Amino acid sequence: MSWRYKFSLFAFFVLFFLVTARLFYWQVVRASELQSIAQSQYGRNILLPAERGEIKTSDDYSVVANKLSYLVFANPKEVEDKSELSDALAPILKTESSTISAQLKLDRFWVPIKNHIDHKAKEKIESLKFKGVGFEKQSSRFYPEASMSAKLFGFVGKDDNGSDKGYFGLEGFYDRQLRGKSTHAVVIHDAAGRPILSKLEGKTGQSDGRSLTLNINRSIQFMLDETLKDGVERYGATGGMAAIMDPKTGAMIAMSSFPTFDPKEYQEYSDKLYRDPLISDTYEPGSTFKPLVMAAGLDAGLIKPDTKCPICSGPVEIGGYEIRTWNNKYVTQGTMTDVIKRSDNTGMVYIGQSLGLDRMMSYINKFGFGEQTGIDLQGEVVPSIRPRDSWYPIDLATSSFGQGITVTPIQLLTAFSAIANNGNRMEPHVVSKITTVDGESIEIKPKLLGKPVSERTAHVVTEMMVNAVDNGESKFAKPKGYRIAGKTGTAQIPVEGHYDANKTIASFIGFAPADDPKFLMLVVIDRPTTSIYGAETAAPIFFTAAKNMFTYYGIPPSE
Amino acid sequence: MKRPKRLIIFIFLIIISLAVARVTIENSISTTGVELIGYEEKIEEYKKSNAQLEERYLEKSSLTKISVSAREKGFIESKNQVYLSTPLPLAIKSTQAE
Repeated sequence: MSWRYKFSLFAFFVLFFLVTARLFYWQVVRASELQSIAQSQYGRNILLPAERGEIKTSDDYSVVANKLSYLVFANPKEVEDKSELSDALAPILKTESSTISAQLKLDRFWVPIKNHIDHKAKEKIESLKFKGVGFEKQSSRFYPEASMSAKLFGFVGKDDNGSDKGYFGLEGFYDRQLRGKSTHAVVIHDAAGRPILSKLEGKTGQSDGRSLTLNINRSIQFMLDETLKDGVERYGATGGMAAIMDPKTGAMIAMSSFPTFDPKEYQEYSDKLYRDPLISDTYEPGSTFKPLVMAAGLDAGLIKPDTKCPICSGPVEIGGYEIRTWNNKYVTQGTMTDVIKRSDNTGMVYIGQSLGLDRMMSYINKFGFGEQTGIDLQGEVVPSIRPRDSWYPIDLATSSFGQGITVTPIQLLTAFSAIANNGNRMEPHVVSKITTVDGESIEIKPKLLGKPVSERTAHVVTEMMVNAVDNGESKFAKPKGYRIAGKTGTAQIPVEGHYDANKTIASFIGFAPADDPKFLMLVVIDRPTTSIYGAETAAPIFFTAAKNMFTYYGIPPSE
Repeated sequence: MKRPKRLIIFIFLIIISLAVARVTIENSISTTGVELIGYEEKIEEYKKSNAQLEERYLEKSSLTKISVSAREKGFIESKNQVYLSTPLPLAIKSTQAE
């Protein structure tokens, strides 16, 4: 083989290699870049945002809906008179002219002016016909019932990437269900920019968020909000909360708390207001805890309704502490039914001592204290129950009447569902149904959490609670002709190691009609000033709401 | 070897008809862009109007708004309800009487 032939062959190999290398460079190394350049010539990349799912009350009304809104943007290089534009936009956008002006001074082709403006504002701006101003479609949360149940619903904020994210309450708990999945798609167009009939490439994968249907009854929720707000103002309290549950299913019918916030303008409120106190605040339940301890004593067979209290004739001394009744009045030979009626602390100490620490702790656990209730809301806290070896005789005594033990309102409500529901404790649930974009429904079925006491015990405690309402301190406020089982509570607030006698948490828990409960309700009033007692503050609020519930459900008086 | 004349003619005709079909379809598609824009704008308009109507419906049927409006118009809450109890059927009544 001559050298010329070899040289030619080598040259061809080199050229072939160079061509291959170049092809590799363009088709592999810079493939994505070229692809996007090509795509920009024949198509347009558009974002297909997923619409966030709606939240509906039990009457299928969207209490949290989506609203069409717009982002106003500008191209500062196209704007002819920046100060004129700033002055014209400021009153429409309800913002400072200097803020708009600062944006327009930036050396960019695109600057955002304001997010989430409504169509009226958009039309006003369009009518001004300014050059260099444009709009981008957006979707924002819309609350037709304003701040109703704001703490229950939570709000939609932004995550680290600037995408919508639900925080607190239902928005937080069901964020993954509600948010859906956004995607990008390419619209093919011709040389003049007109779209060619063609499928949207990459559209698959986009899906709107799922909608939630709640157990919350809008009419009852509205009524409870109004009643609670009125009560908090009337009794000069710093706040209050109330919740209504169907004890047979655990369905949450209404949840209300004050003060609250506007979810649309959540940034303007203290972040302390975002938490729903019904699931996130802990307190000492006071006397509302007594029926549960009574149920434990009855269920364990240690006492009967007519058992006489042998230590109720005066204050009880335990470990250097003296336990008195709330009014410092004592009766001899009082029965267990009287102990609940008179809310007698000494009688409860007798039951606590009869139970002993092991049985007391066992029943506390059976009623669900020390664990999450499983409510479908973000932010549920669990106050811990102190370990067995750090209980002293005084702790056993005080916890028997609801002091020295902390619970969340939702824990207490769930525990009482066992008394109202033949001994069966139900899991509280706010959402009844999740609906996909295709209309498929996922039902959330009632869940039994346990049976802490027998059916018979539950009925006996119910009768004791009916007697407490009919003959106790709060009987003046009770609607006539109805059998309501209930218990007042006045718990002192621990401040720096001692209890402040003038600052209390007043509460009332009860259910009605006692023989076939339609609802179980808890009302908690924080630091009332007109009276420190639950019987004079929380109880009237409870009975006002109960009256409205009877009217709403069409329940006639039975007595 | 005899040439399959009929087959060649058949294939030729298929090629011609497919080519004509392609030209016809492409010709019709090429002018649908303008139409498509029109339809897309209409869909967008309907969607917008639908969203605005829904928003208005939700606003008007909000209990918060209705209660304010009712109060302004002078409606007051009824405090007393009267329940009319239904008499029991005669057969049950007589059984109870015994």
